[in-house]
Amino acid sequence: MDDLSKSSMKFFSDQQLCFADILLPHEVQARIQVAVLNFLKILSSPDPEISDLPLINRKSSNSRVSEGILTDVSWIFLSHSFCSRSLMKANATKAFIRVWKVMEMCFEFLTQEKRVTQRELFYKLLCDSPHYFSSQLQVNRTIQDVVALLRCSRYSLGIMASSKGLVAGRILLQEPNQEAVDCSACGSSGYAISGDLNLLESLIMKTDARYIVVVEKHAIFQRLAEDHVFNQIPSILLTAKGYPDIATRFLLHRMSRAFPDLPILALVDWNPAGLAILSTYKFGSIGMGLEAYRYACNVKWLGLRGDDLQLIPQQSLAPLKPRDLQIARSLISSTTLQDNYRQELAVMMQSGQRAEIEALYSNGYDYLGKYLAKKIVQANYI
Amino acid sequence: MDISSVQKLCIHLISSAVQRCRLSEGLCRLSVVLKSSPPIIRVSISDTGTGSCLEEFQDLKCNREGIGTEKWDGLLSIKTTSISDNKIYHYHLNLRGSVSARRLTRLPSIPKNDAKFSGTEVCLSISETIDALLKDIKHYFQKMLILKIPVSSTATLMPFICTQNDMVRNLYFNETFLKSVAAELVIERGDASGLRCENVFLPNECSPLNFSSSNVERLKSGLEEYVLKHRNSLNNKCDSCFCSREKLKISSGVASSMESHRSPGLIVEAVIAISELPESLCFRSSGNKTEVLHFKDFSPSSVSIASLNALTSIDWRSYGLTLVSAVDQVDHALIEWESLPPYLHIDMVIHCYHKQYPGKYKYQPDRHLIKKGVKLALDDLKEKHTGLLLSAHAVKICSYAPDLASSIAGIILSSNDLKFRSKCSTLLELSQSQAIGKQTVEDRIKEKIISVIETNDRKPEKIKEAAPFLFEDDRPQDLDPADLYLEEHAGGGNVFSFPD
Repeated sequence: MDDLSKSSMKFFSDQQLCFADILLPHEVQARIQVAVLNFLKILSSPDPEISDLPLINRKSSNSRVSEGILTDVSWIFLSHSFCSRSLMKANATKAFIRVWKVMEMCFEFLTQEKRVTQRELFYKLLCDSPHYFSSQLQVNRTIQDVVALLRCSRYSLGIMASSKGLVAGRILLQEPNQEAVDCSACGSSGYAISGDLNLLESLIMKTDARYIVVVEKHAIFQRLAEDHVFNQIPSILLTAKGYPDIATRFLLHRMSRAFPDLPILALVDWNPAGLAILSTYKFGSIGMGLEAYRYACNVKWLGLRGDDLQLIPQQSLAPLKPRDLQIARSLISSTTLQDNYRQELAVMMQSGQRAEIEALYSNGYDYLGKYLAKKIVQANYI
Repeated sequence: MDISSVQKLCIHLISSAVQRCRLSEGLCRLSVVLKSSPPIIRVSISDTGTGSCLEEFQDLKCNREGIGTEKWDGLLSIKTTSISDNKIYHYHLNLRGSVSARRLTRLPSIPKNDAKFSGTEVCLSISETIDALLKDIKHYFQKMLILKIPVSSTATLMPFICTQNDMVRNLYFNETFLKSVAAELVIERGDASGLRCENVFLPNECSPLNFSSSNVERLKSGLEEYVLKHRNSLNNKCDSCFCSREKLKISSGVASSMESHRSPGLIVEAVIAISELPESLCFRSSGNKTEVLHFKDFSPSSVSIASLNALTSIDWRSYGLTLVSAVDQVDHALIEWESLPPYLHIDMVIHCYHKQYPGKYKYQPDRHLIKKGVKLALDDLKEKHTGLLLSAHAVKICSYAPDLASSIAGIILSSNDLKFRSKCSTLLELSQSQAIGKQTVEDRIKEKIISVIETNDRKPEKIKEAAPFLFEDDRPQDLDPADLYLEEHAGGGNVFSFPD
């Protein structure tokens, strides 16, 4: 993906791509300095104004899809539509100032060459400017604003994402100058994926697996790891314990490039949220659209799917919640969803029901492993 | 027009005399003589303005419900002459009679013997206490001071030949009050002490107005003096309160309507004075109220509905003010504001007049014209004085300026890049020395931000353009309002932890 942006042969669609650069600290500081200089220039000009901050729009209206032509990976990216944050708009003044405050704090960290997590940043901002920051969510959003403004990745800003991801299975991971870790011997907790992208980049990976299985839920991951399912079918298990974070996706993407012959299969609940998680691994997200496109992988949907419903008892089906319907609606309106996924989604909506992977346990505790093995062998994934 | 009291009648006659003086080219004199021999007062109003036409007097209606016959018999004695006439015409007019009997009695004319002058004298006898009448007349004259009707460039006084009985005597020339109209108010009390001339009317200082000043300039000057004299409660300007002229800020706005066959051309002039004074010994705070004085056709007038409507319909919030109420208080409108700063006081005067005089005064200026005039005055004030009448919105935004300045100063000062810092110092017009503290930088940025907000607050909404973007090569394709990140993945809440 990175090569594509440097290549002289740019497809038309790539010209529309807006991306966040991965930069060194001094480069990010340079961009912040440019922002300050421009602001002061316009403030001191003969016709002075207080400049607005142009942010790349992180909305579906500004999202485009790059269909995989040469590769079988498609991804969502953001294009050149802007929204602006202005000091002068009565209700948006604080949001405007929040962006500057985060930029100030990041600038300081970059000078000190520190890395902070989003949580640490939140507490620091809370102490510094309690009138402006009231929740982690606000801080995270503002960080994305800064990413959209400066067009540099969040990691370049010095902000580390704490990761939730875990890896288990037939893979050896070695940090430079450290001992290699055998993820098949990590027990049910697996190897914790670091939030430090530089570190993940530098990991040396060796595997003899034939598949990579991405699991939605931690409990399922633990079950599979405990049962050593990855030995029955040589595979690597990966989970982000829910909605995937950048670090987990980063590692998955690395694996997919290092081991291109390994199909990546997803095991998610049968509900719109599960499909949303699958889509994020597959295409990226709009919320972090400037960076997320880099880590899109060709993930296939193993289960649960519509035809697996016969394997579970009727009682384990639960009704769809309003939240599920909201997610479903936004999935349907997204242009990236392929037809067979749409059909599955339609069946979900029509039946008004959802099912969790755990429902398979009704057939016995070891059923999950067998189910997985059978599906893989039959290549029953879409 | 209907006359409802002797005071009003006298004021009306004086007012007409003033208008006649205003129209004439030269310096005029107006004289009001009250000869009191209780219970009767003989009122004599004379002027050296243009000659009057009889319609002026014949139009006065006076019915029994208004002025009682015991107060006034309805008789006016009129002597008038125009510049071109070769005689002085003398009439008696009885306004009480029925239509046919309301007849003009022509009395023999007085020859002028080739002298060139014009003037009018109106006499009537009324039964009233002199003090009641005097109070109203004085009040009228004080208000007229605000108008400062123009002065002639020729300083010579029209010679006035005394003829027998009741023409204005060539008394001593007093300081002008209307700047072209030398006016005097003479009271002769017939009492035990004999004839006493009281010159009740007081001179005022000359101010640098000349004949070519427009009406609105005069109005401004008049209001200024009015405020400086603590709204006519003093005889002279108060020195302690207004030692510096900057404390008083005055502006004006003129709105005019086009002449057409359906309506005469109308002009509305509004003058606003804002005084910023800390509490002082002589200044009694009148709270959050403003008296809006009204004038119509160069005469003090009552408040019209159109005017009240105009005042209430102005968007005061864009000037940082909140109107609580606007009430008609007969001779002025009273506006009550919600919370003015304690030392701030606002005075206003509105003058509506026809472009042409005399004319049929059938058309009243509508509220749009009045509103326009007042708005022009407000905008003028904002334009000339930065930071005055800031809209509530601007004040709110200004309150964020310190935090913004602090962030930007923080970035500048935590940078190790010397070129960057020196560029910033240059842009901020600070010295290039290394020892500049954060506070200095911050304060400078804050100043600039506030000044930009204040300046841009003056611009009318229409011409406010979108501010330029921070990075030049970004051109907006559409400007959606910033949206919630989570909208796209509605499931990002409880069920799934927020993606890092």
